[in-house]
Order: sequence, then C-alpha cells, then structure tokens
Amino acid sequence: MNYKIISYNIGRILLVEAALLILPAIVSIIYADGVLASFAVTIAALTVTGLLATKKKPSNKSLYAKEGYIIVALTWVLMSLFGALPFYLSGGIPNFIDAFFETVSGFTTTGSTILSNIEVLPKSLLFWRSFTHWIGGMGILVFVIAIMPKTENSSMHVMRAEVPGPTVGKLVSKLGASARILYGIYCGLSIIQVILLLAGGMPLFDSICTTFGTAGTGGFGILNNSIEGYNSLYAEMVIGVFMLIFGINFNLYYLLLMRQFKQALKSEELRCYLGIVAGAVIIISVSLITRNYTIGSAFRYAFFQVASIITTTGFSSVDFGTWPIIAQLVLLFLMFVGACAGSTGGGIKVSRLMILVKSGMRDIKKAINPRSIETVKVDRQAVEEPVVKSVSVFFATYIIVLAISSAFVALDGRDLTTTLTSVVSCLGNIGPGLGSVVGPAGNFSSLSMLSKIVLSFDMLAGRLELIPMLMIFTPYAWSRKYN
Amino acid sequence: MNIIIVGQGKFGTTITKQLVAEGHDVAVIDLKREKVVSVVDAYDVMGICGNGASCEVLEEAGAAKAKLIIAATNSDELNILVCLTANKMGTEHTIARVRNPDYANQHQFLRNELGINMIVNPEFETANEISRIIRFPSAAHLDSFARGKVEIASIRIHSDNPLCDIPVYDLRKKTKAKVLICAVQRNDDVFIPSGDFVLKFDDVINITGTRSELASFMRQCGVYKHKVKNVMIIGGGRIGYYLAKQLSDTGRNIKLIEHNESRCYNLSDILPDVTVICGDGTDQDILDEQRLENQDALIALTGIDEENIIVSMYAESKGVNKVITKVNRHSYSILNDIGLETIVSPQIVAGNLVTRYVRALQNSAYHAQIQTLHKLVNGKVEAAEFIVPENASYIDIPFKDLNLRSSLLIGCIMRNGKIIFPGGNDVMKAGDSVIVVTANRILEDLHDIFE
Repeated sequence: MNYKIISYNIGRILLVEAALLILPAIVSIIYADGVLASFAVTIAALTVTGLLATKKKPSNKSLYAKEGYIIVALTWVLMSLFGALPFYLSGGIPNFIDAFFETVSGFTTTGSTILSNIEVLPKSLLFWRSFTHWIGGMGILVFVIAIMPKTENSSMHVMRAEVPGPTVGKLVSKLGASARILYGIYCGLSIIQVILLLAGGMPLFDSICTTFGTAGTGGFGILNNSIEGYNSLYAEMVIGVFMLIFGINFNLYYLLLMRQFKQALKSEELRCYLGIVAGAVIIISVSLITRNYTIGSAFRYAFFQVASIITTTGFSSVDFGTWPIIAQLVLLFLMFVGACAGSTGGGIKVSRLMILVKSGMRDIKKAINPRSIETVKVDRQAVEEPVVKSVSVFFATYIIVLAISSAFVALDGRDLTTTLTSVVSCLGNIGPGLGSVVGPAGNFSSLSMLSKIVLSFDMLAGRLELIPMLMIFTPYAWSRKYN
Repeated sequence: MNIIIVGQGKFGTTITKQLVAEGHDVAVIDLKREKVVSVVDAYDVMGICGNGASCEVLEEAGAAKAKLIIAATNSDELNILVCLTANKMGTEHTIARVRNPDYANQHQFLRNELGINMIVNPEFETANEISRIIRFPSAAHLDSFARGKVEIASIRIHSDNPLCDIPVYDLRKKTKAKVLICAVQRNDDVFIPSGDFVLKFDDVINITGTRSELASFMRQCGVYKHKVKNVMIIGGGRIGYYLAKQLSDTGRNIKLIEHNESRCYNLSDILPDVTVICGDGTDQDILDEQRLENQDALIALTGIDEENIIVSMYAESKGVNKVITKVNRHSYSILNDIGLETIVSPQIVAGNLVTRYVRALQNSAYHAQIQTLHKLVNGKVEAAEFIVPENASYIDIPFKDLNLRSSLLIGCIMRNGKIIFPGGNDVMKAGDSVIVVTANRILEDLHDIFE
C-alpha cells in the first residue's frame, strides 16, 4: 500500500479544513464571543499537520481503489477529531468524546446532539456546528476535487467512495468539472433557501445556520426545540420543501439545467421517492386527525416530519415521540429508506430499495418458473447483476452493523425503543430517534461513552456507505498479504 | 476540446491516455462494460457502454457538440459508419481507423467523398516507421522532419564509445559532423543538455541532423551499421505484408516466415518478389535452417509480444546486425534494459499521429501550425516541427534577445533546403521550419517556447 500518497492526500484535506475554519473564526470576531483563540489553535494545528504531510510530493503516485477507500475513511475520522477541537478547547463541550460525537454528527449530517441546552453555546461554535453539515453534505473530498485545477486520473476511486448510491456516474467527462457543477448546484440552492427564509422574517444568522442544516440534510438547529421554536408555518414549509429538494439526486438538477426536463421527470427513483413521501404524509395525517388534530395542522406536521425523516435531516417541528404508534412506525420505516442516491441525504437510499424489491420479485418469479431469465430494470435500463448483488450485500451488511451496534448500546440498559432507534438514527444519519431519551425532545448526552463511540462509528459508516469504515477495521486493508 | 473515442482496445486506450494527458474532455464508448469501467477508473473520462454507431449512444456521448470523434473499434466498416453517423449528428471532425489492405487505395475516396477527415492505419504507419529505420540502421530509432530532410536519431552509448565522458560542446570538435544532441535519457530521467553536459556510458542520446551528417557522425563514433540488404521478417500479418512490400520494392531480399499455410499462399500471390517460408518463425530450428546468421536484419512481427522478444534476443545473440521488435504492450519500460534496441509499437506510432492532428486542430485558430510531432524517450520528450508564420512577433529577432524557456532546445532551423543549427545571433524568418525539442511540456504553438 502506498502510505505516502495516503498521507499526502489527507494532509491536503486537513489544509482545506483549516481554510474552512476561517469562516467560523470570522463569525467569532463579528460577535466577539470570546472563543476566537480556540479556533486559532485548531487552525494552527491543522496547518502544521497538513504542511508536514504535504511537504514532499510522493514520487510514487499510484492510487488504487484500496488507497481511495482508506483516504476517505481516515479523512473523515481525522477531520472530525480536529473539527472537535474548537468545542473542546473553548469549553463549550467539556468532554472530548462528546465533542467528537457532536462533530461526527455534524460532518456526517446526522444531527444527533449531546447538548441539552444549545442556545448557551457561543454564536461562532453554533455556526461551525451547522457549517459542518454543509461541508459534510456534499463531501469534502468532492470539494477538494472541485477546487483542484487538474484532477489526477485516479481520483475516481476517491469520488466513488464518498458519493452515496449504488453506482456513481459523472455529469461531464472531467471529474473536476463534474464536482464543480455539483457544488455549483449545491451553493445555488443554498443561497435561494437563505433568501426565502430571510423573506419570511427569520434573522440572517438563523437563516444561514438553518440552511446549512437543510442543505446537508443534517438537522442541527440553533434553538433548543429545533424548528418548532420559530413557530412559523412559512419557515416550516420553506424548510420542508428544501429538505425534499436536497434529498433528490443532484444529477437531475444538472439535467434540468441542460433543459432536459422530460428525462429528469422520467427518473424512476424520483417518482418512487415522491410516492413514498405522499403515502407517508397521508397515513400520518389520517392517524393525526384521529387524535383530534385539525386537517390543516395534521398535514402541516405530517409533511414537515416526513420530509425531515426521509431525507434524513432530522429537524423537528413537533415532538413526534407522542404521536400514535402507526405514525411513529411509518417514520421508523422512513429512517431506513433514506433519500435518493447522489443527494446529500443518508439511509439505505430509494434506488437501492427499488433494486432490492425488484430483485425480490424476480426471485419469486424464478421460483415459479426456474428456467426464466429476467433482468432487473431501473429507468428502463438493465441493472447489472454485480450491482444487484452488491445492493443485497449492502442491505445485509447494514442490518448486521445495526444488530452489532445495538448490542453495544444495549449495555446501557435502556428500553428497546431507545436502544434500537438511536442506532437506526445514527446509521441512517437522521438525528433524533424515538422514545423519550433520544427522541426529538431529548438528546444523546445521557448515553455511556462506549455507546457514543459506537454511534460515532455508525454515523461515519452510514455516511460513507459502510465499506470504507468497515474496511479499515479488517486485516485485509493493512496486511501485505492481501495487497 | 470535446472528443469522443469509440472502441477501447489497445489503440483506443493509448489515444485516450494521450488525449487526457493533453487536457481534453474525453468521452469513451465501448461495447464491453468491464472495458469502460477500467478506462473510467484509470483516466479522467466519461464512459458510455454501447454501440458507438447508434445515434442514441452517440447522443449520450455528446456527438452534437463534440469537436472530434475517433473511431477505433476493431471493425473498419463500423468505424466508417461511426464517423458518418457522428458527422451527420454535428461532430466537426472525424478520424477512422481503417486497416484492411483492401481499402488501402481508397483513403482519398473516404476523405473526399465520405468526408472522413483522417484515416489511420496503424499497421501501415508502423511498416513505414520500420522501413525508415531499416534504411538507416545505425540508429535505434529514427524520426524525420521537413519531409525527411532532417531526422532525429537515437543511439545508445556503449562503454567503448568515444563519446563516453565528454561534454557536449567538445562533440563537434571531436567528430566534425554537423549534428546536435537534443535529448539524453539516463536511467529514468531525461535531460535537455546544455553545453557542459557530460555524456556517460549507457546514456541514450537523440541527435538531429541530415541523413548524411548523421551517418558521418555515427561512422566517427564507431556505431555505424552497414546497409541492410537481407531481411528476415517473422509473421505475415498486416504489418508484415506492408513492410515486405515496401522493402522488396526498394530492392532488398526479403524472407517472410509465416505459420499459416493458406496465408502463405495468399502472401506469395500478392508479394511476388518475396521469399515466403511456411513454418513457425519462433522455432529455433527453423530460424537456423533459414540461415538467420546470414541476415542483416530481423524483424519480429508476430501477434505475441513474448515470442517477438524471445526471437529478437536470439537474433541478437546470433549477431544479426539490426533487430527490430514489435511490442503491443509498450508500457513495459524494461525492454530497453534487456538489450533490445529498437522497439516499435503500432499503438504509439498511430497515437502520435492522432495527437498531432488534434493539436493542429486546436490551434488552427492561431498561426504556427504543428507540422510534425514525435515523442521520444517513452513519450517524455517531444520534438515538434513548426512553420514560422508571416508577421509573427518573433521574426528577425536574434535568439539571444528572445526569452526562451528552460528545458527546451531549438533542434535546428530549415531555410530554403539548408539546415541551420542556431546560435545566439541567428534569427527566425517567415517560412522557416523550426524543430523544437522539449521535456515535460506540451507545445501547441511557436509562442509557447517563450517565457
């Protein structure tokens, strides 16, 4: 394995993180909230480490799939370790494991928090906390590919490991240009959301932070009771719609920009995604109406919460922990479903589930007529068998990771709902779970340190789609034997 | 520039690699998915799986807006169809690989009547290259400029060579030949030598000059090889056919060894002056029986690289004066180290042609068009020939006043059929052809040579 190219690439990303940290440092200067020093120290630490790692350009530039995965996995871990420093050094979060959990939750766009009182945090730390969502949403390595003038030929390995979905395509022939288009769309949509929120009377700082949380489908609010605190129908609708927008495959926006509207609207995944949203909204609205909600408010809460959970954002406009069981169950299912491939959302992804269901149907047909041959089709195109297989394996691995992690969290001795949904929520990068402890009204602070570490791992594993994070814990990645 | 490359065989991937390195936006099309995946993994290109002649696939690849399409599938007819289809869809320029000798005489027709801008026949070009080397066997490689008036030859310095351990500026005094050393390969590094550069044992040097000056230079350094009269060619494929024809037309004695009997009959029918031998040319007994040791040159052209290499090594050991080896997988750089001096790869030969075309296409908006382009030292060095345009800003200014880039050398200037090795007081004039040698840079225009 080429260790030098790995450390060189990671070093370069740490330098980018140092540059990104300048933004919250500026916020700190503007609000004079007294935590500038901790940002300065972090930036210095990142710069020194980054410069040391990138001092010498490695002569052996070979970078294969394995190096790509390891770069991605280690980058995310190191980025979170350094990103946690401002919280820890400033005393905003006195325990380092807690700070790490919070940062991982930020970068992976989960939005689970260990803070019980968010509002007391200095403004710049709140900004950094939300900003990590925005960075993590589209992926920092994609960002690096976008800003580099010329991408190395092997960068595809890195991109593939970071962009979610069963298959990764390029928009245009050059990877760098593709990444720039993705970030262009991302920035454009974010700016529109900020403007719309400002128009609804939300303060600038809140609009920006909320947009970061929405765009990355993260879910960190800057008020203790999330979006509920604004109590504004307008804000909820804007955020709800934008959550859904950020949960759609970004390639479709490129098609729209290219004026290929028909092709974009034909996307089977998009239709399926919107179908699931509509179905879930109807079921939950009906169940809420039976609980004496008015039709209007039932729809309002159901729509916002469905959008928030299926896109794995995790904002809450109401404590859905008190909803009827059927509504909670639908939300739990949505946690597994997740957003579209190629979006900023997490979860298993709609396209994977489509392939899974279709290949299941095919197997039933095959049982009836064993000689029949049928390809699984998405968008009227055959999905190759290796992809179908990898989707099944992904699903199985997802469940196994879920089971093992739950066993660790179960050592805390909480009730079944808390144990299970905290893991589901972290692995799917959603944020709040169900129940009184980790539900929308609660937080993760009371869990044990072991649970927090396991859940941090789950968040990273979920964001990077399992393989990179699992890989670094296998001997295959490090042993010479498997090179 | 948006370029579509259809077909990712050996030739397709070679040009993909070269064009990506030059910074173009490349989309590749191939029928085999594994092929597309491996190319997309290795190079920064967009991959599309499908038939390159289908409108749907071409549209996905962006044929309507592409500047150039290169059809390099293994079927000539499909390649022509790809070019015609893409051209009608809006692609500006088309290049087709057409290899069947049956079509060899209708390239003009394909160009003028069907509108295919360039026809590439890698086997034919390779045969050209080999016959050029055969005509001047002293050099390991020979590339020509200005329609053959100037050539770049590469030779390896052996330990008993008088050039060993002398600085470059002593060279002309010592040999009295009007040549210039323009690039030196030492192990894996290349140098564009300045005057005080000292040549060492085992360096490979590239020298420019006219054919006669080069020959006199080689004679004085003791690396001169006698004219090749008797040639043995192993393998009667397309290259073998073209080469045997070219060499026998220039009056050489050709012995062509081919395995397949019916192909032998076919060859003897179309090559009446060539001795066609039916047998396994990689079999030592047959080589001995056919008097390998009496040959001036052996050219190994079978379809299998390993056999070509083995046969070549055997011929070297038998003292054959000139041995030329065809290798398809040119990525192995160790071949030079095991003593094989002259290695020819059809993909590289044809790839250079395509690259030259693409560069000329790119700067057709400018003035100084690239005339010839050769890649030396495994592609690390480029030698390019330009014609100085009228009213260019650098005309008539002495070189000492021009701010030339480093790691770059003016190989020579051709003016009215005379060759000039420019010193500080020389100038460029309109209509001159200038040969520029450079390492690690891409030249598109003569302007690129200035700071």
